[in-house]
Amino acid sequence: MTLARRDYRTVVVGGGVVGLYTAHHLVRAGAGPVLVVDRGRLSAGGSGRNGGGIRQQWETRATIRLAREAVAAYRGFASEFGHNVWFRQGGYLFLADGAAEMARLERVRNVARAEGLDVRLLGVPEVERLVDGIAPGACLGGSYLATDGTLYPYPVLWGLLEALRRAGTEVAYGVEVTGVARDDRGRLAGVLTSEGRVATGALVNAAGGWSGELSRRCGLDVPNVATRHEILATEPMKPFVDPMVVRASDGLYFSQSMRGELVGGLTVPHPPGVDGGVPSSARFLTSMARALLTLLPRLAGLRVLRAWAGFYDDTPDGLPLLGEDPRLAGFVHANGLGGHGFMLAPSASRRAAQAVLGEPVDPEAREFSPGRFLAPGGASRVEGLQLG
Amino acid sequence: MGPNGRARVRFGRAELEGNAGEPLLATIARHGWPNLVRSVRYHRPRGPFCGVGDCAGCLVRVNGVPNVRACRHRLRDGEQVATENSWPSPRFDVAGALDLVFPHGVDSVHGLRRPSWAAPLYQRFARRLAGFGRPPTPAPPTAPPPARTLRADVTIVGAGRSGRAVAEALVHRGVRPLVLERRPVPLAPTTEGGPVAGTELLGSATAAILPAPATAEPAGGSGGLELLGFDDAGGGIRVRTRALVLATGSYDAGLVFEGSDRPGVVTADLAVAPLGLPFEEVVVVGGAERARQVVERLEENVVAVVAPAEISPELARAAVERDVPLYPRSRLVRGVGRGRLRAVELGRRDGSGRFRLACRSVVLAHRRLPNAQLAFQAGARRRWVDVPGAYFPVVDALGRSDVPGVYVVGSAARPSAEAAPTPERVAGAVLGDRDGGPAPAAVPPRPSEIVPYYRELLREPRRGKWVLCPCEDVLLDELERAAERGYHGLELAMRYTGVGTGLCQGRYCLPEAIAILAVLERRPPAEVGYVTQRPPLTPTPLGALASLERPEPSEPRP
Repeated sequence: MTLARRDYRTVVVGGGVVGLYTAHHLVRAGAGPVLVVDRGRLSAGGSGRNGGGIRQQWETRATIRLAREAVAAYRGFASEFGHNVWFRQGGYLFLADGAAEMARLERVRNVARAEGLDVRLLGVPEVERLVDGIAPGACLGGSYLATDGTLYPYPVLWGLLEALRRAGTEVAYGVEVTGVARDDRGRLAGVLTSEGRVATGALVNAAGGWSGELSRRCGLDVPNVATRHEILATEPMKPFVDPMVVRASDGLYFSQSMRGELVGGLTVPHPPGVDGGVPSSARFLTSMARALLTLLPRLAGLRVLRAWAGFYDDTPDGLPLLGEDPRLAGFVHANGLGGHGFMLAPSASRRAAQAVLGEPVDPEAREFSPGRFLAPGGASRVEGLQLG
Repeated sequence: MGPNGRARVRFGRAELEGNAGEPLLATIARHGWPNLVRSVRYHRPRGPFCGVGDCAGCLVRVNGVPNVRACRHRLRDGEQVATENSWPSPRFDVAGALDLVFPHGVDSVHGLRRPSWAAPLYQRFARRLAGFGRPPTPAPPTAPPPARTLRADVTIVGAGRSGRAVAEALVHRGVRPLVLERRPVPLAPTTEGGPVAGTELLGSATAAILPAPATAEPAGGSGGLELLGFDDAGGGIRVRTRALVLATGSYDAGLVFEGSDRPGVVTADLAVAPLGLPFEEVVVVGGAERARQVVERLEENVVAVVAPAEISPELARAAVERDVPLYPRSRLVRGVGRGRLRAVELGRRDGSGRFRLACRSVVLAHRRLPNAQLAFQAGARRRWVDVPGAYFPVVDALGRSDVPGVYVVGSAARPSAEAAPTPERVAGAVLGDRDGGPAPAAVPPRPSEIVPYYRELLREPRRGKWVLCPCEDVLLDELERAAERGYHGLELAMRYTGVGTGLCQGRYCLPEAIAILAVLERRPPAEVGYVTQRPPLTPTPLGALASLERPEPSEPRP
C-alpha cells in the first residue's frame, strides 16, 4: 500500500464509520485532499462489530442533540449514498426493574421532553404489549421512544467508502500511524506512518477502541479506556418484538434484526485494554443466556448461532471527545464514543470536521471538549445512560 | 411411548406413526420425499440436504419450539409437529412468487430501496418474510434441565472410527477416557462396531464451545481445558479435562450450480444415513471411494455417476456391475424442476456441449472436508490444503495441535493422502510420551481441483438463481458484486453478502465461496482468507447455556 501523495490537508486515522463520515464532511466542505488511514481492514473494528442500535434517549441534552442529528442522517442515508441500511424505527424500550431505575428513566424522559422528544413512560401492560411473552414481574415499567431504532451497520460503511472513492479521496487500509511530527511552534506538521511521513496540518483521531492508544502514542495523555464487550445472535425467527429492549439495571439489551435474529449483549467484566484482542468468552454466553431468559423464559429452546466481541472507547464521564486538543494544535479528537460510535457517527464526526475547518462549534459541543479532563472539575456533566 | 414402542405424532392435519426414538425425518419420509421448508428470503422450495443436523433443509416446529431439525429429533409419542415459513404449505407457498419478483436477489444496493418514503412499508414486508419459524409458543415455565459437569483425564469428541481407535488404545494403556458423541447411542453396530469397552460413552452430546485456554476463565484451579456443550434434551454439559482428542471426522461438501438448492440435491452423508429417504433415479456426483459407497448403498436407484475429474477403477467397477453409465470430466450446470428436482443438465469439461439427465436426486460425493472448527475455535493454527480445498488444523506427527492439550486425529486432522499416526502413538502422546518418532513422509502438494472446476463453471450462461448459501439465500451474483465493488477476501465477502452466517455455520457455503472467490479475485484460495471461528460451533439452546452459568466471581466489576 503506497500513498498517492506526500501531503494532505487532513489525515483521518480510522477507517470505521466515524473516520469515513469525518472525511465525508471534510470533502463535502471542499477541504480536501483528505487521507483516511486504518491499520486494519474495513469493518474489522467496532464499526463491523456493533449491534446497530440508534437511540435518542440520553441523560444529557448535548448527547440528545447529537443523537437527533444522527437519526436524521441515517433516515436519509439510503437516498444519499445508494446503500440500503435498513434503518428501522422500531423504538427503544428501557426497562426498569426497580424504583431507582424507574426514577432514572423519569429523569431521562424529562430531559428528552425538554428537547422536544416524545419519550413516554410505560406501565407494565404497555410493556407487555411491546415485548410479547415478557416474564410476569420482570419489570416495573419503562421508557419508550418510537423514533429510535436499529440499522444494519455494514452498508453504512459500503456507502461512505464508495462515496469517498468516487470523490477521489484516498482511503488506505493496512497503514499504521506511529506518531506525529511538530513544527517549531509545536503545531502538528506531519503524521508518521508505516508508509513513511506525510505532511499535514490536521490529524483526526477516529480510531475507535484504539484511539486512546493513538493519542498516547502521539504524546497526549487521554482518559480513554478500551473495554471488550460481547454480542450474540440467535437463529432467525419471525418478528415478534419491534423495539430495542434495554434493561436499565444491568444493561442487558436485545433487538430483532431484519433477518429475524435476536441480537443482543450484556456487559461482563474483562480486563481493560486492546492487548487481549476480541475473543468471545464462555462467561458472556452463559450470563447473557441466563439474563435473556429471565425476561423471555419462553426462548429457552431458541438456539444461539454465534457470538463476537469488540471494543468500546470509554471515557470517565460517558461523553465523547470531539474537537481540537488544547495541547497540540491540529490534533482533533473524534473518539470516546463508548459503545455508541456507530449510533452517533454522523453528527459526532461533523463536530470533528468543524474543528478541523476552524468553524465555530455548536455551543453544546463544549461539553465534548477534549480539554475538559485537563482541569480539575473540568468534566462537569456525566452521561450515565451508557447502556445498550 | 405408545404400545409396542410405537409413537404417534400430529403432523399438520395428519397423524404419523413410527418407532419411538427414530429420527422424526424417517417417520415423515415413509410418506414420500419430505418437502418441509421454504427458504428464508425468496421462499424457494427446500428439502433435506445434509443428513447430519447442520443444514436448514428439514426444519419443523415441534411442540411450539421452532427450527427443530427433523433429522436429529427423536420421535416421541404425542408430539405436535408443524411446518413453518410457508402458507398454505411448503409444497405450494404463496410467498414463493418472490423468487420470480427478484430474479437477481435483494441486497443493499438492489431492490427495496426506492422510493425512500416507502421504506417503512417495505421494511415491514421484508421483515415479515424473514426468519424461519415463529417464536416459541409460551409454555408453562419449567426449570431447565440442570447442567452436568463431567471430569476426565482424557476426553475424546467423536465415537467414529478414529475416536474409537484412540479410545481402544487408551483403554489398553489403562486409561478410561470420556467419549462424547453427537448421535444417540447405541450406535449402529454394523457401521460403528458398537461401544468400546472400558470407556465412558456419552451419547446425544454436542460439543459447542471450546475457549482458547489462554482466554478461558480459570477452570476451578485445575488448569486444563473446559469444553461446553449440550444434550438432546437441552441440558448443558460442562467437561473439564486435561487432554482433549478431537476425532470429529469429515463431511461431504456442497456444490454450487443453478438450482443446486432444489429438493432432491443431497450430500452423501444424507444418502448413507439411516433416515429411510425414498431415493429413486439418483445421479451420484464424485469419482472415488465416497461415490462408490453411495452406489453400493443406493444400488439400482442410481442412474448415473458424474465425476468432475476421472473415475477410479473401483467406482467404475461398482457402477458397471450395475449397468450405471459413467460421465467423467463433467460438471453439473443446472438442476431442473420447479419444486423437487426433475433432471440435471451436465456439461463436458472439454466444452463439447450440454446434455440432460432425468433424475429425482443428486447425491454429492465429490469431496470430503474436515470437521475441525472446534480446534480453530480454541485457537489452533490452520493450514490450507488444495485437495480437497479446505483448512486443516496444524498438527504434529502425533496429532498434537499448537493449543496445549488439544489433539486432532483422523479425517479432521489431515486429508486421506497424508500419513497419519497410529492410534497407539496418539494415545501415547496424550499420556505423555515425548518421542514423536520419524515424521510422516511429506506428500507432494496437488494442485487445486475445485478452483479450476468453478473457473470453467462461471463461464456458463446463467438464467435462474445460483444459490451459494442456502441457509440465508445468498446468491452467486451477490458474491460477484462484492468482488466487483472491491470488497475482496472472505471476511469482507461475508459481511457484504451474509454468506456463512446461516444455520449451518458456513459448513456448506464457505468452502465453495473460497474457491469461487479465488476465481473472481484471481489469486490462490489460501490468499482469500478465512473467517474467525467463533462459538458456538453448533447452534446451542439458550436454556443449555443458561444452565452452564457459573456464579459471579467475588471481585468487583470495573
